[in-house]
Amino acid sequence: MGKRGSQRLWRGLASITASVTVLSLVGTSMVNSFRTDIDKFLGTSSTKLVTNEGDEGERYAYTSDYANTTELVQGIADLGERIQEEGTVLLKNENNALPLSSEETSKISLLGFSSYYPVQGGDMGSSLTPNVGTDADTVDLVQAMEAKGFSINSDLKAMYEALLPTFQTEVNNWGQISLLNSITAPAFGENGSIFTSKEPSQEVMKSQNANWKDAIAKDNTIIITIARAAGENRNYTPGEAGVDASQNLNQSDPLGLSDDERDLIAAAVDSKNANGGKVIVLLNNASAMEVQEIHDNAGVDAILEIGLPGGYGFYGVCDILSGDANPSGHLADTYAVKNSLSPAAANYGTYMWANANPEIYINSLLVEAEGIYKGYKYYETRYADSVLGQGNANGAAGSQSGSWNYDEEVTYPFGYGLSYTTFEQTVDSVNVDLGAKTVTAQITVKNTGSVAGKDAVQLYVSVPYTDYDKTNSVEKSAIQLLDYAKTGVIEPGATETVTITADAQYMASWDSNSDNAAGTKGSYILDAGDYYFTVGNGSHEAMNNVLAAQGQSTNGNAANVKTWNLGNLDNLTFAETKNGTKVENQLADMDYNYWEEGTVTYLSRSDWEGTWPKTYEGLTANDKMMEYLDNDIYEMTSDNGELPAFGSDNGLTLADLKGVSDLDDERWSQLMDQITLEECMIREGFGGTSTKAIDSISSPEAVQNDGPNGIYSYPLGQYANTDASSGDPCAISENDKNAEYKCGVISNETVIAATFNKELAKEFGVTMGNYSLWSNLPIAWAASANIHRCPYNARNHEYYSEDPMLSAGMASAFVEGGKEKGLIIAIKHFAFNDTEINRSGIATFMTEQAAREGELRCYQKAVEDAGTLGVMTAYNRVGVTADNAHTGLLINILRGEWGFKGLMSEDFIMDPNYVHLKEAVIAGVTMSCNTGDNTMEAVSGYYSYWTKENVENDAVLTAALKRNMTYQAYALANSNAMDGYTSSTHLERINTWYDNLLIALEVIFALLTLVCVAMYVKSSKKEA
Amino acid sequence: MNRKISAGLYFTCLAAILAAIGCVFYLINTKTAYFAGKGVSTPVVACLAIAVICAIVYIVVGLKDTPVWADILPIATSALLMAGLMNFAAARINGIAAIMTFENNESNMADLKSAIIGIVLVAIAWIISIIASFMDVSRSVEK
Repeated sequence: MGKRGSQRLWRGLASITASVTVLSLVGTSMVNSFRTDIDKFLGTSSTKLVTNEGDEGERYAYTSDYANTTELVQGIADLGERIQEEGTVLLKNENNALPLSSEETSKISLLGFSSYYPVQGGDMGSSLTPNVGTDADTVDLVQAMEAKGFSINSDLKAMYEALLPTFQTEVNNWGQISLLNSITAPAFGENGSIFTSKEPSQEVMKSQNANWKDAIAKDNTIIITIARAAGENRNYTPGEAGVDASQNLNQSDPLGLSDDERDLIAAAVDSKNANGGKVIVLLNNASAMEVQEIHDNAGVDAILEIGLPGGYGFYGVCDILSGDANPSGHLADTYAVKNSLSPAAANYGTYMWANANPEIYINSLLVEAEGIYKGYKYYETRYADSVLGQGNANGAAGSQSGSWNYDEEVTYPFGYGLSYTTFEQTVDSVNVDLGAKTVTAQITVKNTGSVAGKDAVQLYVSVPYTDYDKTNSVEKSAIQLLDYAKTGVIEPGATETVTITADAQYMASWDSNSDNAAGTKGSYILDAGDYYFTVGNGSHEAMNNVLAAQGQSTNGNAANVKTWNLGNLDNLTFAETKNGTKVENQLADMDYNYWEEGTVTYLSRSDWEGTWPKTYEGLTANDKMMEYLDNDIYEMTSDNGELPAFGSDNGLTLADLKGVSDLDDERWSQLMDQITLEECMIREGFGGTSTKAIDSISSPEAVQNDGPNGIYSYPLGQYANTDASSGDPCAISENDKNAEYKCGVISNETVIAATFNKELAKEFGVTMGNYSLWSNLPIAWAASANIHRCPYNARNHEYYSEDPMLSAGMASAFVEGGKEKGLIIAIKHFAFNDTEINRSGIATFMTEQAAREGELRCYQKAVEDAGTLGVMTAYNRVGVTADNAHTGLLINILRGEWGFKGLMSEDFIMDPNYVHLKEAVIAGVTMSCNTGDNTMEAVSGYYSYWTKENVENDAVLTAALKRNMTYQAYALANSNAMDGYTSSTHLERINTWYDNLLIALEVIFALLTLVCVAMYVKSSKKEA
Repeated sequence: MNRKISAGLYFTCLAAILAAIGCVFYLINTKTAYFAGKGVSTPVVACLAIAVICAIVYIVVGLKDTPVWADILPIATSALLMAGLMNFAAARINGIAAIMTFENNESNMADLKSAIIGIVLVAIAWIISIIASFMDVSRSVEK
């Protein structure tokens, strides 16, 4: 090789080594930007806790109820089984077909591919996390049956297993492709959200096994599972438009049956008629299905609504089938004959703005013109009015036959559920105490059957609907759940007296026209008139009781109704909230008519026919609306007040305020004076996946997790303390058998709601709290409480119910349980995220009454009574204002009226424009969910306006930043995130293996570059 | 002696052109709705621009009798292209993750497209610059 050839060689090699050096240098910078996420992915840790020697402060404030992870995961499995036992709803049980005898459980034929590949969690969100090789492995129906000693026909099992490829579905979860064996829910935006049936036809089954019917003749306890899946970003389209027409399966709705499913049931019934046996249908769904034809099918002996049972729930289903457990679940939603006929369904879909601009998330709008009439509040109120002959209730609107008739519209009412025994509930007394703001009811429950069991006591109230209401557009549901309780196990012939002390504010109605204590408009009112209190096996029985008490000829029990009379309209008792805040209209801008008067007619029971919702589509946002829709709402300024203090040296750490729940304690302000403006700005902008450490106040990193079916974002061992010498009572060994355990294993929220058992919901919270102590995962986005506005929202599995009080009771108890162990169970998605359609940007409109009495009540109790320390906000707009920017909702109601003190995160909004950072800060949001380097350059690079220069002189913005960080620090100080910390505890940075690798690469390739340069020079000289 | 153009000229030219186009795509991308709020990254633009300048200077100088000092230029070009590429990717990685997952819609995908194209172009430019650095842009031939 000549001189020039050598030079070219060394020059080229130097280019490569120099490039790799640059790669490792810039890579180090990138790693620092995404360190938290990388650590989560790799299971590494870049920090360690160091406590000064001699510091004897209490380090671990919370203690686990379990001695080790074996006890912990087995406790979780036990809870999962019990939740399912109490949350499974027996809808039909002809001739006491259930429970099965031991002989019958020894000859089970499972039909339907969902019997073998059931839906156990969401396709995404609250998904089942299968656990294998742990001390509590998860099971499906077949595994649970085998474990419980059932004998399953193996020919059928083999047939369905061979057919597996025919019902597998490829799903795309945010770019991650996976193959699911179970039925799936249609993804929003994908093929128009069309449902495709996967149930094998009779021909397919026959071609696979020509003798499959011999199996059901022999093993004639026939169990058929019919499933509909659920998932985040999933959506069912109402009616025939929502099913794959090319399948030609006579399916009128995605939540209705297909011919393949009908044929399967018919084959089972035919076999039973010929050979004896039983036919039992398991409904494996979260969105209420249309099952009138199964109910009417005389050949079907029993129907069990099992929801999505998670990883251990099928043990509970087996216990119900065999009679080891007595069903006590009650429906959390109305099962309508035809879901698409509800008034809410009239506005369920994709309705784009005429002047949509997707670039700034102006996409679609949703007018909830049904007002307060969601779920049973519609069906029962219309029923009452039809009995009372008022409000054109018998008209054609929303009817199947042209004349509305309850029996034609509802298959199973809200709150309905059977037992293997019978109960008699007697309302002994009801005492309304407006001074104490309580309604205290005493109910005696007697087991009148022959089997021990639990019963749900559902306390309903019917409030007066007056001329004042009609004049002022105040709507009243004819019946509403006020509160509920679950009995213990009552032996046959025995009784239990249940006392329910309900919060009286939940029978008040929001009147936007009322004068109030604040001197403005809007207050909760109690109308003058008679109030009827009763109980019932569901809303319909309760409604009939009230109608009977009102002298109507229904089959209700008037004797089981207590009345209370209010002489005059009362707009004072609830004019102030529990913390003394005066209420007033805060959500007037959610009413479309606020922006365009007279555009929307909301449904009123004064005239069902005349106010029946039309579909609001093609609306154009006017200029005033566009000022809010364009995302730029708050203008940063200066000289607008006194700037708050930052960066003081007061010598405090967050650990000094561990467990200090009084925010007026002056140490809080002293501590927060230490924080710097830069820290506030960075932590607000980059709050995602974990709440990062803040040096100035020694605030620790707190890792955030999903979800509603258990903490499942990370394995138990990923953040667990493996240092036994640390004194951590929940330290685990490096090779702990359950280190890879993931806790997304509990039944979905509709099952939890169906238990009507707040103690069980609280126990779930306590159990997750225990789990958080072992796993060091202190924040869970877990109590999802959005209302089931429509069954078509395929994310209903992550929410409790169509009823706000059922949801509120469960969410509140769950949060309360978590707090006992220092777990921050955040409620979400606050608020109005009741559809997955265009959820980023969708503008949601409704009356303030509907907002306050519907969706918001789902959360209110968890804030006011349980004192949740966390909230996750929502993607959608509240009216035309982004949820995260709506101060009426987030400041005035949530933090003001309800007194929320805690951290508040945005949902997973990545677009820096739609994050609305400055507006969100003003609205009290404490963190976006984005991540980035712990520098001003990084956060200013992400949000171009978020510079110190722009922010530091804005007194309003800087005060809001400091306030938000105070709330965030307060939440952590009152959680188990501070476990392990004392005053002197601090985080020290340590190098991970990838840090060492990068350093090695930098050094090696820098040296190689020098070598190449040296060789270049040498070759030049040599030739010279 | 005369100088005859060699393959290095074409590779260096190609690297410079691709880098310049990549830089343009980056600048276009910073104007899209999704990424507009994130501003313009000085390191990305500076690295790519200086890399292009280095390549051009190297071509100009290399067409004559290449002085020894000029051999630093292809090394600098490659290193700067790598720095530009990494900074470009770092500036877009969050957006890519979000758009490919939670914010997947037509508009955002269109915005993402220019970023992806830009990143790919700069990556190709870097590879070609490495190849070019093993070559001269011209060589001397005796009359």
